[in-house]
Amino acid sequence: MAVTASIRESSAAVVRASLTGGKRDVKGMLFAAALLLCLLTAMFTLTILLWDVVAQAIPVFQKRSTGFLTNDLASSPDKAGVSQGIWGSLVIAGFVVLLAFPVGIAAGVYLEEYAKPGRLTSFIQLNIRNLAGVPSVVYGILGLVVFVQGLERFTGGRSVISAGITLAILVMPIIIITTAESVRAVPSGLREAGYGVGGTRWETTRHHVLPYAAPGILTGTMLAVARALGEAAPLLLIGAITGRLASPEGQTVVERLQGKFTAMPIIIYGWSNEVNKPGKITGLTFEDLTSAAIVVLLVIVLVLNAAAILLRNRFEKRRQS
Amino acid sequence: MNTSKRRLVLASFVSLGLILTACGDDEGASEATDAPTTEAAGESTTTAAGEESTTTAAGGEIAGGEVFVTGSSTVEPISVLVGELADELSGGSLAVTVEGPGTGDGFKKFCAGEADISDASRKIKDEEAASCAEAGVEFVEIEVAIDGLTVATSPNNAAVTCLDIPALYSLVGPESEGFAKWSDAQALATEVGTTSAAFPDADLTVTGPGPESGTYDTFVEFAIKGLAEERGKEDTARSDYTQSPNDNLIVEGIEGSDSSLGWVGYAFFAAEADRMKAIEIDAGDGCVAPTEETIADGSYPFSRSLYIYVSTTALAENPAVGSFVDIYLSADGLAKVSEAGYVDLPADRIAASTAAWDAAKA
Repeated sequence: MAVTASIRESSAAVVRASLTGGKRDVKGMLFAAALLLCLLTAMFTLTILLWDVVAQAIPVFQKRSTGFLTNDLASSPDKAGVSQGIWGSLVIAGFVVLLAFPVGIAAGVYLEEYAKPGRLTSFIQLNIRNLAGVPSVVYGILGLVVFVQGLERFTGGRSVISAGITLAILVMPIIIITTAESVRAVPSGLREAGYGVGGTRWETTRHHVLPYAAPGILTGTMLAVARALGEAAPLLLIGAITGRLASPEGQTVVERLQGKFTAMPIIIYGWSNEVNKPGKITGLTFEDLTSAAIVVLLVIVLVLNAAAILLRNRFEKRRQS
Repeated sequence: MNTSKRRLVLASFVSLGLILTACGDDEGASEATDAPTTEAAGESTTTAAGEESTTTAAGGEIAGGEVFVTGSSTVEPISVLVGELADELSGGSLAVTVEGPGTGDGFKKFCAGEADISDASRKIKDEEAASCAEAGVEFVEIEVAIDGLTVATSPNNAAVTCLDIPALYSLVGPESEGFAKWSDAQALATEVGTTSAAFPDADLTVTGPGPESGTYDTFVEFAIKGLAEERGKEDTARSDYTQSPNDNLIVEGIEGSDSSLGWVGYAFFAAEADRMKAIEIDAGDGCVAPTEETIADGSYPFSRSLYIYVSTTALAENPAVGSFVDIYLSADGLAKVSEAGYVDLPADRIAASTAAWDAAKA
């Protein structure tokens, strides 16, 4: 790609020089400079923000080491840790993977490949787009009414199951839209080739369309998981815990899933509201711990994204070979 | 054939990854439950002497089980500390979970029967008590600590050291909307009878908690309600000030402007005393600064009680609730009040709380 682009540009330069008599392209250079400035501004803000958080978080990891990752919520910044938040957030990510991925991808493929184009289909598509823009608090209220109160016998009320299902529904429109977009971007020649050798719609979709669309779909799912991990507002409504979360002895996994829970964004929210009295042993404050919790959440999102990027690269390589 | 095999490998790789992360985290969680107990063991050497008396004062055995505490974020730190004490004393069998969405939200959950105990930074309102009664939730009110509401400004604000209640009413009350400078409030303050020094000609930036907070209700009750009723106005604060449920943001707001005005709980002021200057309050008996002494003896006019409301309906079904409140009212439990930055109740009010609790248990 890069080679062809440079060939194009150099040939364009030759033609242009013969047309303008070798005048410099001032407007073009200004435009390029403006673009670069915008990029630098964005990068600068992001770097400052990250640096601010990481610099404050480093002492926490130095003084508390792994204790910060393995301890439960506690009153003192000497003891408090994020293990319960990591557990809650990973379970929520699990619900997104198990519920939102299959349903969202299937719905997206159906809308593009199977549904007859018409008023109803475009009406549904419009609504899904609108759903993606609905504020997350609204989904929180849905979760509160349907999963916390309505299906309490199954979810256990204000539990991580309710939170996981709510966030899975929250990100489903994103997955449907990105899936539909990437399926639409598949060249129609590929489909025609499939049908041309007598393939059924399922075979064509399965062996031609989906592998080609996979990188785009994966990007969408990646965004969806990151969004679900970062949401705090719906979790507040569902009732994630901020102060102290006790784990009774002999709790089974099902009981833990149906019990009270917390998650990383809630821990960040809760700690930012604590009195900033330095701990007696480490001298750390909850403000420092808040930064460290932000770093942990960022790392979780980055690791999950990295996994998705690895997968996407595999799909792309296979497509090229 | 080949591609489907590769895809199978890929799929198993993904699921393996998920299982690994899940397992890895399980380990983390079980370690986590170990870690505090070892740390707690180190701590218990200091409290070992009081530990036995706690259990006996509490009336013997600690019942295991789960207790859920919701309510005021002001009281939350005390309940968390007592929850940790309960965990330590019971060897982990008394599992106390604490959250702090705010006094009002707490009573909503409490009266819906979702929580065993509700922390409160004010007394329960009549309509809240009515919704509890409607849902058949009976409760007992127990006073556990005293908090001083601190009215504060920036340390750079030399012009203001003491305000009386008419002054606060004219700066933050319902009639103060639109006042952008301290001096804008002067005419109103004089009208309602202030004796405070003249307000400076400086910008007035007000930061405080919003109406969902018990700290807001307390401020309105102390500084605004009396004059508002006298003058036939609504008993609310002005609506055009910076509101935040996050006390640290309020501290930042107070620190951020040289002529700021705001109010926070005493614990937040005490922890950040170098970033704020407490304004002395004159309620007719001269200017009094908030200190532990003046709050405890009641001479500081803006002191309020902090309560726990215990559901006796839940207590009847769950003996763990009783054990937890026993620990709360034990000497070790009440020692957590000052550890959390609040002011201890005087002995006679502790006795009253204990009596109320004993009567509710019986």
